Amino acid sequence: MALLVQVLITGLAAGAVYGLIAVGIALLYRLTGVVHLAIGELVGLSVFVALAVIGGAGPVTGAASAGSFLVSLGVAAAVAVAAGLITYLLAVRPFLARGWALGWIGGLLALAFAIRGFIQASFTRASYVFPDPIGFDRLGDGGVIRLGGGVTVQARSFAILAAAALLSALAVWVLLRTEVGRGLQAIAGDRLAAEALGLPVERMVAGAFAGVGVFAVVAALVQAPAAPISADTGALLGLKALVAAMLAGFGSPWRVLGAGLVLGVLEAAVASAGFLGPAFRDVIPLALVLVALFVRPSRGEAAWRS
Amino acid sequence: MAIVRQVRAALAGAAADAARAWDRWAWAWLGAFAVAALAPLFAGDERGLAAGACLVLAAAGLRIAVGLAGMASLAQGAFMAVGAFTAAHLLRGGWDLAGATLAAAALAGAAGLAVGAGAARLRGPFVALGTWVAAWLAAFALSAFPAISGGAQGLVLPAPFVGVPGGGGLAVTPAGLYEIALILAAAVLLVTRALERGAPGLALAAIREGPDAAETLGVRAARMRLGALVASAAVGGLAGALLVQAQGLADASAFGPLRSVELFVAVLIGGAGVTVGPVLGSAVLAAIPLVADLLGGAAGVDPVRFEPAVASVLLLGALLVGPAGIAGLLGLRGRRSVPAEPSGAPGPPGDARLVARGVAKSFGGVHALAGVDLALATGEIHALVGPNGSGKSTLLAILSGALAPDRGSVELGGSDVTDAGPAELVRRGLVRTLQPTTVFADLDPLAHAGTGTVALRRAGGAIRAALATPKARAETREMRGRAAEALGVVGVPAEDLPAARLDGKLQRLLMIATALSAGPRLLLLDEPTAGMSPAGSAELAETLRDLRGRGIGILLVAHDLALVRAVADRVTVLHAGTVLAAGAPEAVARDPAVVEAYLGG
Repeated sequence: MALLVQVLITGLAAGAVYGLIAVGIALLYRLTGVVHLAIGELVGLSVFVALAVIGGAGPVTGAASAGSFLVSLGVAAAVAVAAGLITYLLAVRPFLARGWALGWIGGLLALAFAIRGFIQASFTRASYVFPDPIGFDRLGDGGVIRLGGGVTVQARSFAILAAAALLSALAVWVLLRTEVGRGLQAIAGDRLAAEALGLPVERMVAGAFAGVGVFAVVAALVQAPAAPISADTGALLGLKALVAAMLAGFGSPWRVLGAGLVLGVLEAAVASAGFLGPAFRDVIPLALVLVALFVRPSRGEAAWRS
Repeated sequence: MAIVRQVRAALAGAAADAARAWDRWAWAWLGAFAVAALAPLFAGDERGLAAGACLVLAAAGLRIAVGLAGMASLAQGAFMAVGAFTAAHLLRGGWDLAGATLAAAALAGAAGLAVGAGAARLRGPFVALGTWVAAWLAAFALSAFPAISGGAQGLVLPAPFVGVPGGGGLAVTPAGLYEIALILAAAVLLVTRALERGAPGLALAAIREGPDAAETLGVRAARMRLGALVASAAVGGLAGALLVQAQGLADASAFGPLRSVELFVAVLIGGAGVTVGPVLGSAVLAAIPLVADLLGGAAGVDPVRFEPAVASVLLLGALLVGPAGIAGLLGLRGRRSVPAEPSGAPGPPGDARLVARGVAKSFGGVHALAGVDLALATGEIHALVGPNGSGKSTLLAILSGALAPDRGSVELGGSDVTDAGPAELVRRGLVRTLQPTTVFADLDPLAHAGTGTVALRRAGGAIRAALATPKARAETREMRGRAAEALGVVGVPAEDLPAARLDGKLQRLLMIATALSAGPRLLLLDEPTAGMSPAGSAELAETLRDLRGRGIGILLVAHDLALVRAVADRVTVLHAGTVLAAGAPEAVARDPAVVEAYLGG
């Protein structure tokens, strides 16, 4: 029972970030038919830029002030906007225009490949610690709360969950309640009809690439101080978000978010099973998801074709 | 002695074909191969050369999936890993080079089968996503099982040797492995070229450009796609096995997702549609660090930090060239030198009367068809008319084997074909065209019409085509002859122009020509005049009468009643899934039930 609580809280916190990024991936897919294979690397780039703003590329220790965290958040968001626009204009639109799907797959991967190289060349240590602006370390026992029965949870997990709830509420509000959100839904439903109605489809789609990037970066930054970060961090985050989106058939935001949470809890459960060891944390959930998709692709495909 | 004569004749035929196809490009490629084979004499780094040749081999294999089948396989690095670690363990267990390498290729092919069984059923970008997850899964699994991967240090391999009869072994140097990889890479390129020119290439092109239309021509899309992925995985395994032997070390980090991306991008930028594309693409990837060194040195920047920028600019720039890739820039493209021979082949013999009895089909409670009888004989035009939603297209799908009816039976030439699929019906002489204009955009008219002959071929299997056996070559020539004739019958010029660039009327006619090249006795045409001008419609009527004159039976679904009056011998009117009236056009037009249904009683 106690272990269950620990798995749930840790898993939901990690899964919430996968889910939030996956919601962005699903939205872009429904707008353009493009699966954003480079989103993880774009997030990684922004996180590392934020890190450089806070403390430079040198070894970072100790907590950052809330002020410097906000500045870095702003810079990271700006980088995410620029990266999102560049991605759309250079790696997606030219290939969509000529209906060459292999082209944008290659374009996004080439971009991801280059960003990863850039991070590795600029940040040469094996891993970095992202400074904590809120100072969760002061809570409980060095940032770890004991819930009794040997259950320990990072205090930050609760903050991540709260932030995730806020961000998903924000996403749903933007998509369902605002003018922009209704416009995006119109484009996702029928692009030609949306164009005929006079919506600036091109601008809105480009804006969606930028906005989804910012959204993903904010989600990632909330979680960033929780674990050491490396050049692989972004790629792994992107991979799991893609898996969550795929698991939910690129469907409604709630389903996609739910798939992310399921994936996170699955990982936490495997990681907590002592006899398996942490190396299986990535293998088993991914294998299960792949088998599920290959055995029953039909459910997802219904959404993919729409 | 008969066998000797046959072999001699086959070799003479092959030599004649080769001589006919031989041109200055062939000399150029032969020269390039010779220079590459001599490279170890000049270059010092034999292990580096061998590694390069192995990557070209892996890319050449990947082109079978990406270029031929149009599947975005992002797991080639993982298939290399399967081959690499299989070979590593077998070599450590005392196997020789040949045994270990072949076993590695076989196991990688099996891995391709496992991934492909799932991925081949997915569409478009989801193949990329599925294989991408598989690539990461392989990387995670290697780090989770150090017993297989040797952990962070990797596995050190003994020097490879080739077993010699009578005991002992012949040591193979990295230069030797380079030559082996080079020869295999050249062989894969040649085989891919042969496949592309034969029936499998046409079938894969049809699947790539329009899976639904390909199915109506009797192409088994899922099986072909799976085969392409398995072949590309097996070649990847071969490359991985040779690579670790050349390096003397099997290191999991050399086969991560990054490797898969590199190979995929290499195939794309080289030109996925061109035989030598993988070679050119690999060369560009290898050149990235060199260019970065040069530019970085000139700008005074650390080249390592400059490399990502160079890579992104070069790769995106090369991708923007389009599907023809760098090969397209250099003016290289797939050339077709297989001449057509007049076929004179008649369609399938025997009776070909199509009879449907009591056919019913419902979709989730909606009765699309509620017991329909219909007959179609050779040499007649039978029009099927009715308002939208009356069940015309459903009936066509059932008659052509694409859908199974809930009740009722379908007979063709006296035997029951209710459960037969499109591939079997195409071979029995019944072909359908789809309602929307669906042409295989990239193919020129002759190749396009040729896709209709795929289901008929007897010597069109992947192995015969890959080896370009005399039978396969002769059949390819004959089938091109058939395709050319079919184009002539409907009046589509056999220009060197992709189908997407033809006008709407010619695209419609091309769809009919493609069906026609399958040598049908019966044609099911779903709204062939949709979107045509009245003049085009009149021209099509002429073509349909001509086909009838050649003894072909046509079931014509049409909204265009002028066309129906002009050509139909008999008319069946469908209404809400039942036959409202059937008979001669004039009688049906006066039928009170039809008048009421159409003029709104």
